[in-house]
Amino acid sequence: MKSKPVEKKRKARDEESDSESDDELGNGLFDGVLEASEDEEDYIPSDAIDDGDSESEASEGSEEDEEEDDDALLSDDIPSDIEDNDDMGKLRKGAEELEIAEPGVDPKPKHQEEEGRNYRIEKDANGGERYVYDEIDPVYDSDDSDAKGPVNTIGDIPLSFYDSYPHIGYDINGKKIMRPATGDALQSLLDTIEIPKGWTGLTDVNTGNPLNLSQEELELVRRVQQGLIPDELHDPYPDTVEWFTSKQETMPLSAAPEPKRRFLPSKNEAKQVMKLVRAIREGRILPYKPPEEREREEEEKEEVQFDLWQDEEPAAPNPMHIPAPKLPPPGYEMSYNPPEEYLPTKEEREEWEKTDPEDREKEFLPQKYNSLRKVPAWGTLVKERFERCMDLYLAPRVRKNRLNIDPNSLLPKLPSPAELKPFPTVVQTIFRGHEGTVRSVAIDPTGVALATGGSDGTVRVWELLTGRQVWSVKLSSEDPVYTVRWRPTKDAFILAASAGEDVFLMVPTHSSVTPTLDQASRDVLAAGFGYATNGQQPATAPGKEPAGKWARPGTKLEDAGVLVRVTVRSAVKVITWHRRGDHFATVSPEGQRSSVAIHTLSKHLTQIPFRKLHGLAQTVVFHPLKPLFFVATMRTVRCYDLQKVELVKIVQPGAKWISSLDIHSGGDHLIVGSYDRRLLWHDLDLSNRPHKTMRFHPKAIRAVRYHKGGLPLFADASDDGTLQIFYGKVPNDQLESPTIVPVKQLKGHKVVNQVGVVDIDWHPREPWCVSAGADGTARLWM
Amino acid sequence: MAKIKKKGQSGQAKNYITRTQAVKKLQISLPDFRKLCIWKGIYPREPRSRKKVSKSATASTTFYYTKDIQYLQHEPLLQKFREQKVLEKKISRALGRGDVGDAARLERNAGRPDQTGKPRYTLHHVIRERYPTFIDAIRDLDDCLSMLFLFANLPSTTAVPAKMIARCERLCHEFQHYLITSHSLRKSFLSIKGIYYQANIQGEDVLWLVPYKFNQRVVGDIDFRIMGTFVEFYMTLLGFVNYRLYSSIGLKYPPKFDQTKDEKGAELAALTLEGVNLATNEETTKAITNGEGHGPDPKVQAEVDKLVKKLRTETNGDKVDEEMAEGEDEDEEKATDAIDKFEPAAPGGDVLPQPTYSGNDPSKLFANCTFFLSRETPRQSLEFILRAFGCKRIGWDSILGEGSFTTDESDPSITHQIVDRPIIQAATTEEGDGEDNQTAQKLGPNQRYPGRIYVQPQWVWDCVNDEELKSPELYAPGAALPPHLSPFVKPMQGQYDPTIPLEEQQTEGEALEAEIEDAKVEAESEEEDSEVENDMDVADDNDDDEEEDSDAEEEKEDEEDEDEDEDEEVLQRQRELEAEISGKAVKSKQVDPKLKAKLDKKKELERKKKEEAEDLERAKGMLSKKKRKLFEQMQYTNKKKSTEDMKLRSKRRRLEKEKAAGKA
Repeated sequence: MKSKPVEKKRKARDEESDSESDDELGNGLFDGVLEASEDEEDYIPSDAIDDGDSESEASEGSEEDEEEDDDALLSDDIPSDIEDNDDMGKLRKGAEELEIAEPGVDPKPKHQEEEGRNYRIEKDANGGERYVYDEIDPVYDSDDSDAKGPVNTIGDIPLSFYDSYPHIGYDINGKKIMRPATGDALQSLLDTIEIPKGWTGLTDVNTGNPLNLSQEELELVRRVQQGLIPDELHDPYPDTVEWFTSKQETMPLSAAPEPKRRFLPSKNEAKQVMKLVRAIREGRILPYKPPEEREREEEEKEEVQFDLWQDEEPAAPNPMHIPAPKLPPPGYEMSYNPPEEYLPTKEEREEWEKTDPEDREKEFLPQKYNSLRKVPAWGTLVKERFERCMDLYLAPRVRKNRLNIDPNSLLPKLPSPAELKPFPTVVQTIFRGHEGTVRSVAIDPTGVALATGGSDGTVRVWELLTGRQVWSVKLSSEDPVYTVRWRPTKDAFILAASAGEDVFLMVPTHSSVTPTLDQASRDVLAAGFGYATNGQQPATAPGKEPAGKWARPGTKLEDAGVLVRVTVRSAVKVITWHRRGDHFATVSPEGQRSSVAIHTLSKHLTQIPFRKLHGLAQTVVFHPLKPLFFVATMRTVRCYDLQKVELVKIVQPGAKWISSLDIHSGGDHLIVGSYDRRLLWHDLDLSNRPHKTMRFHPKAIRAVRYHKGGLPLFADASDDGTLQIFYGKVPNDQLESPTIVPVKQLKGHKVVNQVGVVDIDWHPREPWCVSAGADGTARLWM
Repeated sequence: MAKIKKKGQSGQAKNYITRTQAVKKLQISLPDFRKLCIWKGIYPREPRSRKKVSKSATASTTFYYTKDIQYLQHEPLLQKFREQKVLEKKISRALGRGDVGDAARLERNAGRPDQTGKPRYTLHHVIRERYPTFIDAIRDLDDCLSMLFLFANLPSTTAVPAKMIARCERLCHEFQHYLITSHSLRKSFLSIKGIYYQANIQGEDVLWLVPYKFNQRVVGDIDFRIMGTFVEFYMTLLGFVNYRLYSSIGLKYPPKFDQTKDEKGAELAALTLEGVNLATNEETTKAITNGEGHGPDPKVQAEVDKLVKKLRTETNGDKVDEEMAEGEDEDEEKATDAIDKFEPAAPGGDVLPQPTYSGNDPSKLFANCTFFLSRETPRQSLEFILRAFGCKRIGWDSILGEGSFTTDESDPSITHQIVDRPIIQAATTEEGDGEDNQTAQKLGPNQRYPGRIYVQPQWVWDCVNDEELKSPELYAPGAALPPHLSPFVKPMQGQYDPTIPLEEQQTEGEALEAEIEDAKVEAESEEEDSEVENDMDVADDNDDDEEEDSDAEEEKEDEEDEDEDEDEEVLQRQRELEAEISGKAVKSKQVDPKLKAKLDKKKELERKKKEEAEDLERAKGMLSKKKRKLFEQMQYTNKKKSTEDMKLRSKRRRLEKEKAAGKA
């Protein structure tokens, strides 16, 4: 152990002596380097060298040229170079001082130190050698590099700026530093021939002197360049010092016995090994192969195929899953050589080209090629496939039930109209005479006379079969006659007609009217006057207007046959007689509270049954058998019991605006016509909703009417100028539903101002009907 | 009291989920979601009421069933996607760090299927899930085959790697081989889009489209990533289907693939089918040898020799063999000949389709023919279709690729030659000096080998679709071909059918109209005749008259059952009007009866039509609103169809007339 350091020391000494003989300067430089650890300022030069040579000139050479850089680098050294002597001396002095300061140190190092080192080698506690450096005396001059000599203070500018001057810069005191004398060309030539010691061919930037480097410095530069440790003597790989040796100590640090685990194989390691073994067995760890080979192998590996459906078991398809529809198979027009009729004509082709590609019905035009070799590639095939792909994954699928049935099977099987005869089919008589619209028609209960009322304010009576006008009266000059209705009994021949707010009751002259019948009729009408004069009429409240004023219409009208005038509060549109003929009801839709009035003929009495009505009253009708009264407002039909004075039923046809209403002679069925083009059949026993809805007219329905004489017929009249005749058989059995068959559409009336047929009436016995049209005619159909 | 229900907590609002919500729920990117949907067969659903499902939904919002998305959540592929995502992140991070080596290592693990055609995941569990039985898979094969055949014909680009194309091609060839061996191809159709094929596999009809062999143009914005995803799935599907099909007919899958042959363009012949049984491999190896291939098999030869010795009478052993084989065939046919006809024993039952009897088995349609394909014919499709219908020997020019029975056009065994070149008027110099080495002698243009049938390619397709060898005269080279009709159209009652003569399918009214027109034209021409060349063609005139008379008689017979209550006056008036228009004097009565009768008939028809319309109107009024709408809709479509048909009929009538005029 001890012999090695000694040898080293010896070697060092030899080297020292060499260097000493070489040059003193080397020591000085070396000195500075080793001091670097303690003194940074001194270290700068060597640091600069280190930077410039070992690495690229990145840190400093970025701004200056390479040469200048070198100059600058080297120039840094110059102060130390120059001051070497001083420095040396100083250090020596310091060393001596140190010697004095440390008396207990071996003389041997001192001796070495005297030989030119600034450190001593001492033995440390373990016998190893240890470098001990001198203490630096921190006096003012000790570490002052400024005072070392004339430093050129021109700063960081190239020296070439001073080429034309005799000086090369200024020292710290502002004195010119003169350019050192340079020999002439010959001299310089001579210089190149015999190279002085330490010549580098470089010039110190600061001083302009040639830059000389000593052997030591060059050596140092070389070592730094090679990346070696600058200190030659430093041993980076010293022998290991066996602090804890295998040698048995007499006094061990711990007397604990060796633990058992030292002798047992490690479980953790076994686990790790097993992990690897398993990985190898499973093939997760493979023997190494170069990556190229592995890649190639992987490429060669085929996709493994096997029988995927080996254990297939048919499962019921998920009901929510909708399989994608298949594309339709190609038709004839897709052939490359289709039959010629599939080829488009010139117009078709043009039209196809004109339409937007998105709007085209077919995405291609059929084309014909004479032979297969002429068929080109289909341009949009990829796009079509792509669209199919998009459809497959992006289109929402909806299951649509395509009804693959004959549309005619939807139609109900209707019996042939020929089986359902009789019903009116052709126009028999046209009654002309009214100016403007014929508003209303009515056939008298005996079936011989026809009464019509028109917009011209006249009421006319005609012979039904011949069409001859037998009687006429003008009721009003400004108001139209809205409605005419015969009193439904045969014991009298009384006609009610409305014009404006007035209801007139009259006895027209007619061939069928015998004097006795005429007299009887007049008596019926006159009876009321006696009743009124007898004062049995209830007195109305003094301030209140009576519901209806019964009066004689005046001599002129009385002469014509018009015997009674009843004036109500607003214009009367509808008159309906009770079957016995003693009562009749009027409807004046604008009349609000008093829109519905019931008049008693025998008493000349007018009553307003409803205080309030839900909606505008449209029409009213008396039940043919029971004391029931139907009032149709715009939306609903209400049925009231007149005896008990209560609401019995509300029928809801579902129409928006009811125009007309009629009740079957049996009393259990109702038909409702509406302005929203519907004809509704109600079975009153079954439901409040319609039993059947029929839409045959493109325009509003104005009137509906049952045949009252025992024939299973009904008809409606519409604004489209047609009448529709239906066969409507009401069965005797309550449980059976009525048979309704449309049998005939009667056309003939002209449409004037969007109004077609306005009113309709049936003959009391025969399957004949009369219609009133806006074209100023009434027609008899049979 | 029942709990108050909150809106959006139950019912439709819970059953549906928007796409964005679904993507968020699955925590994958949109492209990955798309992939997953494509593979798993999840598609959007249209809710009954969009408003109830989501208030903020616009028209373009796509909804999925929540249950579908829940089902996706358990998908093992999802984990793969996530792993891939993590890997991508690692790669990008490594690249960001400038760690190129690490990135390259990770990239190697990435295994991009869109570039290599080789994914790290397998899809077979998805296929098994989507198609629980094999038949289900067959049923869905239409799109798969069309797609793969298209991709097999695409040029390779960055979006479509060459490997993917090669694999598609391989799978398609394998499938074609199955069809050839099992003879399950049924129909084929040359359309303008490509060639449609229909095969019957285990009772399921599969229809697919193969493009013509041209470079496919890619137009418009096509996202090949989507197509690629589909193709990836379809490739796996077809692989497994092929395996199953091959094993069902006792063949080994995958068949042996000959790289060198494939490179020479052998296509189908590059694959060699092998039997499953390894012990009898030698015998079962069924290479598409094109008949002779490697010369006589020694074993067969030995047997033949034996036979020859035994019989000693015949000079040619092969002949005996053939005869024997034929005899056997006949016997077999006799055995299977009797097909029962199902006659209804009692009236009233539904009529079922009869078991069709076709005299020629599709697998033997071309069995006795040897074909030679000229250079200009589409070899791939012809080879496939001929082989699928029993042809064993097909030769073609060596330009068309490897694998032909013979490249020698002058081979005497050739019975049919398929040509698609026009007949050249002037004899030009021989073309193709480069191919002289294989054909010893070349024929000049328009020259033919005797004893051979020359046909155009359409003949093959028409034969296949009609299941009989059509007469080749119609399909001779240069001849105007008869129209090629789609075999997939099922004739429907009342629909226009080009195969049926016009008279059998036109409506009464149309026929009448046409006749009237004819008559008018005739009458006019007659008039002209009589006016201009009165004295020239007397005999002709007489002839015409006779014809007309006979016509008129026939028509009278037809009309016998019709009621004769027409009024003369109207007719007369019409006649007068016509005369007025044509600027001639009112015609004498001699032509009248015919025209008159026809006009009467027309009138009668019109009257009937009117009555029917009235009846219809009456019945329609009795329908409810819903039913009436439906009825009107149906009538609309029916009417549209019938007008289309009418247009076709009228076009055909005109064409026929033109043709007749051209002939006369």
